[in-house]
Amino acid sequence: MMLIACILIYMAIVKKYEPLLLLPIAFGVLLANLPMANLMAAPPDDHSQVGGLLYYLYQGVKLGIYPSLIFLGVGAMTDFGPLIARPSSLFLGAAAQLGIYIAFVVAICLGFNPQEGAAIAIIGGADGPTAIFLSARLAPELLPAIAIAAYSYMALIPMIQPPIMRLLTTKKEREIEMVQLREVSKLERIVFPIVVTIVVCMLLPSVSPLIGMLMLGNLFRESGVVERLNDTVQHALINIVTIFLGTTVGATAVAEVFLSPATIKIIVLGLMAFVFSTIGGLLLGKLMCFLSGGKVNPLIGSAGVSAVPMAARVSQSEGQKANPANFLLMHAMGPNVAGVIGSAVAAGFLLAMFGS
Amino acid sequence: MTLMDSLMVSLIGLVVVFSVLILLSFLIKFQSVVLGYIMTDKNKLDAASAKGKDTGDFTAEGETVVTAEVPNIVDEGWSTGELRLLGVDEKTAAMIMAIVSHESQIPLSELQFKMIKAIN
Repeated sequence: MMLIACILIYMAIVKKYEPLLLLPIAFGVLLANLPMANLMAAPPDDHSQVGGLLYYLYQGVKLGIYPSLIFLGVGAMTDFGPLIARPSSLFLGAAAQLGIYIAFVVAICLGFNPQEGAAIAIIGGADGPTAIFLSARLAPELLPAIAIAAYSYMALIPMIQPPIMRLLTTKKEREIEMVQLREVSKLERIVFPIVVTIVVCMLLPSVSPLIGMLMLGNLFRESGVVERLNDTVQHALINIVTIFLGTTVGATAVAEVFLSPATIKIIVLGLMAFVFSTIGGLLLGKLMCFLSGGKVNPLIGSAGVSAVPMAARVSQSEGQKANPANFLLMHAMGPNVAGVIGSAVAAGFLLAMFGS
Repeated sequence: MTLMDSLMVSLIGLVVVFSVLILLSFLIKFQSVVLGYIMTDKNKLDAASAKGKDTGDFTAEGETVVTAEVPNIVDEGWSTGELRLLGVDEKTAAMIMAIVSHESQIPLSELQFKMIKAIN
């Protein structure tokens, strides 16, 4: 495990694969597997001794506190303007959750129980905090493998998605230039997080911690009256929580759990979920292109897999390769942020189905 | 759980995700229409109020409010949001806005452009 930790540290520092999270995760793996250090040791039942440092920090993962706080920061950093300007982006955000459900079926076929299958399948949502939130509740023993797979694949999006995008779209479709999005008023931006919170949390209460925090962060940003709070959640808070989250998730990767055939299956299922989510978004993008008479570039569909803003950048890059005058970034940001909501809704559904 | 059960769960899950997001998209559209209507009414009231002041109204402090005279330009171009482009394409307008922002050292998010017009 110490060797794996060193490889992950190498990938984070040299290859720069999601270093902000992979580096603390990798170091957490190293810390947890140091002989005699007992950093993840729980205190004895009579509390005669204190537990290890990482055991206490891990409670934030176990109780779902860190992923929700990460969502608070993500909400403050996210501009939902492109989504409000084109609400049909939400359809793409929904279609790009296809991989979650295909991976779930395959996981069941591979012998995982429904809780484990759901936790593995959520990797297809390409949303690290959501994957950690769901895994910690449904299959905590698989959490390190799921978190590492989810963040690794998110970092590999520029390699995973382009071949699928080119395979499923024609050059003519990739060349489509989309019309400029309308301007979104400040009032619309302020009302949006309130409406989403009320609707989604009433329909799926199990996902309230994630959606509630996401939209609170966004309201901080859009209201314009709490600049200090907005600044704190966007920078200081999210950085602190990322350190705790990464290190403690890594610290759960002890050899007897991590070095098992299940980890290999999780890595394969995660990749499959990613691929099918990309396919789902692209296929609906093609349908929207057809129905709109060629006004929608199907490349923006792949951005529905969440992974903000990496997936939107990939759409932009592929669109510009086909047509240098193509600027898809803002159009892809709509499905991209819709994917965040979509994956949270999918997680809420799975939690409602299989949570205790 | 059997294969059939997992397929059913997946199908229901997809339907739930689509239903929630489709509902949200309709709510956003509805919200945009309602808020757009309210904003249009407010803008009309503001414009009427400004027009009244322009024709010699006095403020409570007794100072005349002077508003810039807007030339009567026939809108021969097309509009995007509140920015009117007259004889200027979108890319040129974007370039002009970026140059103004750079030269004035004011971030684009703090600048509001009303109209960009080509002068022959």
